Amino acid sequence: MITRLPEHWQYRLLLWPLPVLLLLCYVVPFAGIITWSVTLPELGVDNYVRLANDPSIHAVLWRTLYLCAIVGICALLLAFLMAYCWLYSSSRWQRWVELCIFLPFFISVLVRTFGWLVALRNNGLVNGWLQDLGLIDSPLALTRNTLGVIIAMVHFMVPFAFFPLLSSMRQIDDRVLLAARGLGASRTRVFISVFLPQTLPGLLGAFIMVFVFCLGFFIIPAILGGGSTLMAAEYVFLQMFQTYNWGIGAALCVLMLVLVSMLVWLLMRFSRVERLVG
Amino acid sequence: MHQTHQQDCIELLVEKARIGQIDRRNFLKAAGLLAALPLAMRSGIGWAQDRPVVIVNWGGDAIDAYRQAWTESFTRETGIPVRIDGSGPTEGAIRAQLASGRPSWDVVDAEPFTSLTLGREGLMRPLDFNTIERSKVNEAFATEFGVAGYLYSYVIAWDKERFDAAPQTWADFWDVERFPGKRTMYKWMNGVLEAALLADGVAFEDLYPLDIARALDKLDELRPHILAYWGSGAESQQLFLDREVSIGQIWNTRAIVLDRDTDGRVGWHYDNACVTPSSWAVLGDNPAGAEPAMRFIDHALEPEGQVELLRLLGNGPSNPAAEALIPEELIELNCGSVENLARQFKLDIEWYADHYGSVLDQFLSRTGA
Repeated sequence: MITRLPEHWQYRLLLWPLPVLLLLCYVVPFAGIITWSVTLPELGVDNYVRLANDPSIHAVLWRTLYLCAIVGICALLLAFLMAYCWLYSSSRWQRWVELCIFLPFFISVLVRTFGWLVALRNNGLVNGWLQDLGLIDSPLALTRNTLGVIIAMVHFMVPFAFFPLLSSMRQIDDRVLLAARGLGASRTRVFISVFLPQTLPGLLGAFIMVFVFCLGFFIIPAILGGGSTLMAAEYVFLQMFQTYNWGIGAALCVLMLVLVSMLVWLLMRFSRVERLVG
Repeated sequence: MHQTHQQDCIELLVEKARIGQIDRRNFLKAAGLLAALPLAMRSGIGWAQDRPVVIVNWGGDAIDAYRQAWTESFTRETGIPVRIDGSGPTEGAIRAQLASGRPSWDVVDAEPFTSLTLGREGLMRPLDFNTIERSKVNEAFATEFGVAGYLYSYVIAWDKERFDAAPQTWADFWDVERFPGKRTMYKWMNGVLEAALLADGVAFEDLYPLDIARALDKLDELRPHILAYWGSGAESQQLFLDREVSIGQIWNTRAIVLDRDTDGRVGWHYDNACVTPSSWAVLGDNPAGAEPAMRFIDHALEPEGQVELLRLLGNGPSNPAAEALIPEELIELNCGSVENLARQFKLDIEWYADHYGSVLDQFLSRTGA
């Protein structure tokens, strides 16, 4: 629940540091990025024309959007199960769920990514176990491809989906569920017709948050993608540092920002942000 | 007693100043405190400047190796302090330095086509061949904006436990019947298109200009067998250590380490490898000024340091005079020896300077999953 501060001007001062920081460290430099996108290598909208027409950039963009969507759906599914489990289980189980969510949350993404590499590679733990159990003859291609990137990204994103979902589930009034049961609905029916619809804003909000977060992923696809899962962030890096096309890199940044802004607008429009974090 | 101790202090100071631990101002202050300024002034330290020359390389083990092979001796001889920055002088990174208006880098260990491209645009300092002794390297390796600091090579390496025969050619690299198992190649394309064309029957001398469409088609054939495109030397090494690949196109420097660390399980040779020089270049308006930067480059072309680098990292000397100093056990490893050069083809720097960016885009969209 949000406690409102009294609306004295002294308290409003407390709000200032963050916007000022954002203005100085983000808005001003980003104005520079926008300028690059229309001035490098020469004045005009050439970079945006290329964004619209270049098949290799389209491939990168589609791959990025597609991966983010899959990761969003998978993370949502797992987070939903865990949040549901947390909500309706004994406190001992709740501790387990919390452990599963919090422990990876505090380990750096780089360490986790290399961890996944050790676990998933051809001679890794998972393939080793599966082969020892006789379930497979030759190792499965679990990483150094798109699948590896998805697994690691889902793992990274589950906590980010868990908290908004849990928050929206906790706001569901138990008495409504009881009333539905009292009126003769089966457990499944209560879940589908009463519980699930009430979590929809949470689901949508969590999905958009995960999706937006994923758009900028760099380390995981760079390490687990086997050099062939180029996503937007790495593509921008490539244009900035490897091939020197700052104009096209900047234009792609602007496009990504527009995309993210639209998604955030959707988030604000269809799902009440304060309920996701409350 | 007092006198000797004071002398000893000055000696220490002079030594510190030589290796760059203190700057001129602090040196003078300390010498003044010791009431020994006149004595200290006669110590013969060349105060070119206060600020160190910043050398930018690609990080990792190369930082320590460059220090041992080059920068410590340079500071000892000239009194000019040096700082090594391992953040990687890619073309974009150098441009970012220059665009800031106040670059903090002096000398870069760049790709030759990077020095060439940036030099042509007037962004790099023309090298001063009065200070840098041009005759220290082969004529082809000293150009207006870059001079080769060492040579390295993209070689075929393979896991000897996977098959008995040794893959000799790129056609062998493509032959998944005779040489089964996964492959790895360089993510940023150098030497990869060339390998594909050689596998497709093109001769060394007909490689350039590269037939890109043909190379990409040939690369498609191998696609199901390429486990990963490695982006860093460490990654390529790990793929062999973990037995994830049976053949790879990797740097000779990593192949040498792999051969040693696996007790010979990983084999490699210079047959059909792609040899290329590095390039010392100096940023335009570099903070330390032209002279110290040129002096450093000249120093780094001395044969002793180059042999030391071969010993430490496996990089081949660019100065032919180094050949006589190479100890017997390292002769075979030198990718720049006359004998080894004859087995390899040379990366065409001009072609890369003109085409790298646009072709890399095509390459990455074809290798993309």
